[in-house]
Amino acid sequence: MRKIALNVNDEEYSVEAKPHHSLLHVLREQLGLTGAKEGCGEGHCGACTVLLDGRPVNSCLLLAVEAEGARVTTIEGLAEGGRLHPIQEAFINQGAVQCGYCTPGMILSAKALLDEIPDPGEKEIREAISGNLCRCTGYVKIVEAIRAAGKALAATRGA
Amino acid sequence: MALSIVGKRAIRLEAPEKVTGSAAFVADLKLPGLLVGKVLRSPHPHARILNIDTSRARALAGVKTVVTFTDTPGIKYNAAAHPAPGSVLLRDQYLLADTARYVGDPVAAVAAVDEDTAAEALDLIRVDYQPLPFVLEAEAAMAPGAPLLHDSGRNIVGRVEFTLGDVEDGFREADHIFEHRYRTSKVFPCSVEPPGVTMARADWSGRLTVWSSTQMPHQIRRIVAGALGVPQGKVRVIKPYVGGGFGSRLGAVNEPLCALLAMRTQKPVRLAYSIEETFLGTESRHPIDLTLRTGVKADGTLTARRLDAILNAGAYATHSVSFASPVGNWFRGMYKCPNYRYEGIAVYTNTSPSGAFRGYGNPQVNFAVESQMDEIAEHLGLDPLTLREKNHPCMGDIWERTKWPIESCGLEEALSLGAAEIGWREKRGKSRDGGKGRAGGGSSSGTGDASSTGNAVRGGDAFRHRGVGMAYMLHCSCGRPALHELSTAMVKMNEDGSANLLYAGADSGQGSLTVMAQIVAETVGIPLEQVQIDPVTDTDLTGFEVGSHASRQIYAGGNAVRRAALAARHEIVALAADIVGAAPGDLEIADGVIRSTSDEQKQVTVAEICREALFGSRRRQIIGMVSEEPEGNPPVYAAQFAEVEVDTRTGAVEVLKLVAAHDVGVAINPANVEGQIEGALQQGLGYALTEEVVHQPATGRPGASNLGEYKVLTAKDMPEIKVIIVEAASRTGPYGAKGVGESGLVPTAAAIGNAIYDAVGVHLDSLPFTPSRVLAALKGEAGAKGAVITVKK
Ligand code: FES
Ligand code: FES
Repeated sequence: MRKIALNVNDEEYSVEAKPHHSLLHVLREQLGLTGAKEGCGEGHCGACTVLLDGRPVNSCLLLAVEAEGARVTTIEGLAEGGRLHPIQEAFINQGAVQCGYCTPGMILSAKALLDEIPDPGEKEIREAISGNLCRCTGYVKIVEAIRAAGKALAATRGA
Repeated sequence: MALSIVGKRAIRLEAPEKVTGSAAFVADLKLPGLLVGKVLRSPHPHARILNIDTSRARALAGVKTVVTFTDTPGIKYNAAAHPAPGSVLLRDQYLLADTARYVGDPVAAVAAVDEDTAAEALDLIRVDYQPLPFVLEAEAAMAPGAPLLHDSGRNIVGRVEFTLGDVEDGFREADHIFEHRYRTSKVFPCSVEPPGVTMARADWSGRLTVWSSTQMPHQIRRIVAGALGVPQGKVRVIKPYVGGGFGSRLGAVNEPLCALLAMRTQKPVRLAYSIEETFLGTESRHPIDLTLRTGVKADGTLTARRLDAILNAGAYATHSVSFASPVGNWFRGMYKCPNYRYEGIAVYTNTSPSGAFRGYGNPQVNFAVESQMDEIAEHLGLDPLTLREKNHPCMGDIWERTKWPIESCGLEEALSLGAAEIGWREKRGKSRDGGKGRAGGGSSSGTGDASSTGNAVRGGDAFRHRGVGMAYMLHCSCGRPALHELSTAMVKMNEDGSANLLYAGADSGQGSLTVMAQIVAETVGIPLEQVQIDPVTDTDLTGFEVGSHASRQIYAGGNAVRRAALAARHEIVALAADIVGAAPGDLEIADGVIRSTSDEQKQVTVAEICREALFGSRRRQIIGMVSEEPEGNPPVYAAQFAEVEVDTRTGAVEVLKLVAAHDVGVAINPANVEGQIEGALQQGLGYALTEEVVHQPATGRPGASNLGEYKVLTAKDMPEIKVIIVEAASRTGPYGAKGVGESGLVPTAAAIGNAIYDAVGVHLDSLPFTPSRVLAALKGEAGAKGAVITVKK
């Protein structure tokens, strides 16, 4: 066991973790943040996606100790002051959510994209979520949702 | 009255819980003292288990129990969830194997304080195996002298025959007879939440609670009770949020085993299978060998159809005894023909058990039948659309699957809308006829350079050829009459005029919950926001419900829900009639207000009536309750069209566009219907192009056991998709709805295969269409096309 300090969703945590434990394991089992899901545990599905200093990572492959000193954002950190993030709103409104198991990871990958490219094209969107598998939607409404969210965000930025 | 909520793109009720990560799936649940379960699996495809030494594992600190075959109740069970008595559930499996019958067969299980300890305990278990001869292919397993998997004396686990008329007469009448052999692959549902995640707790008062990521809560209750030999009433199954089903959770995955660990420890236990275990030991779609012989007149009239199917059941029966029936049913239901004969044989092999995966036999049958239809059309010089229009069973015809008259048919509209969307008339046949003939092709084999005769399509690239193809399908709205399709629903009216729907629905992501709420709101006449339904299903709190299979949820479950809502509405109307002094037939309800159609002054709110019932003169709550089966099983139709580009140097197939025109009856929630079809297309495309597990001949191990080796398509891999909804309302479905859950992937592989033919002139007979299979076919290599006999009389 080793003590590690984590910054998750702007909160400081100090946890005891085994050196081989993944960030996903610590988030889910120790911090009770179960929004990041385990699909494969091997870096293939993206259900465990979180943001590390704003960039999407597969938290199942990242050791918890490797996240020390970085800012970790999980799906639980997206809604602010009781209000959903525009990407979350768009996923709901466009019917982009089916079983919801891929959804937290998808939304975080989308956030990383939109933070970098505010109004991405379809190709960029598909590229950005290509590490996130969805078995329910065929990605059609997910792509539409991300595009709609980009437009909504651009509108608020422009305002 | 016009419908105000049915037909709307209602936002999913539970979506906010999902986008915030708040929706709890089984693995997100925690109980104090929760133990972690793990399973030890056989590395051999077939082996006698001579001895299992668990002493070191038991001695490890933190290990709470270690179980092997001798610790199980010794009861044989069947993991499939079919509601008997409609089907035969052969019991041939123990919770832990007595003899290992496939690589991955569970032989021992542990429960320990944490993951690491459980994993360490598995390492400490010593199993002495005596390897036995094994067999992986169904045909080989049927041969005399093949290694036997069970003590039944043969590997044939089920055989089904259907006949109508006399096929031999029919073949004699035919102008042409076509015979082909098709092979389909072993593919996995691959829900992103892997199947096989369970939590169980045996409490001190003797109850066993199982939290299961299932599609069939009430079936799981029965299976768990049976496998463990405990009274069914002692078992309670709770289904929280589920991360996609597609058939993978149609039977028990590991619920009984997890429950056994919980009973042994008297502690809560979580057993979650890894992705590797998903590929090793959970159910797949049956690989089927299909020999198809069709007799046809020169004008395209079918005179005889014959299918001989050999199904690879894997090591345990699960669904397979009766699985040969739907395979035959899809076959005989597809086309009108006075003579048919079907024989399906399911065979044990030393591979992981096959079971349910979206489509339930139809994707396999459809691939064969629709690939052959394309060849027949080509041979007769008919437009493939014309051949379907001529021969499909239509409204009023008897559907051979059910032997009932067809309630509605939207196929012709689907064909014409789909054809227009893909550009059928402009594109079909152009790659072949517009140029100097076919690119490559088995018939002109031997050139070695298949591309040289082709018609260049893209940017002058002589090696890339485009084509369009189509396939049609028929699917079901439930499993009647073969299967039992009971649903129970209760609509409870509260004193504020809101309703609770108590219904053991098994929404695993398809959105059926929201649709049920729409049905209640529409039927009672209250706003959608006033209907509550818990996404968590609990067998203690709801009436019997078959579950989510056979595309039945909206058709069969929705029927019970609508009828329960109607019963509540009748009570509301009767009381309102008394109160406002009107005839019940004179009252209408909309948006929570009851109005007389003849006198505007006479109105009262649903809330007032519900309050009056509870606290006023009646002193009883208005509750509508119904437990019944739906009346029919209307077929759903679809026509799918694909445009592809084939690279004749590499054999790579790129699908450019998929058009899916589906007759779904009435779409109660069009966004959900599109979502079902769009998602299914991703699976159908994977079936066509990339997904396959082949068990290795030397070791019996599956050739893919993770999502790196097994290629599930990403957002980048998907073509343009166009879904077209056609609404031919059913007579018996709620608001005219029919099924939609499975149909989206049924004809996809054949449509793509037929587009490949249009592009490069070869028909492929095996799934998936990998570059090497395409190349082999282009080179006309023996075996690439299987046995093809086209007898022209
Ligand atoms: S769980 Fe991390 S990539 Fe699949
Ligand atoms: S919504 Fe189910 S996996 Fe994406």
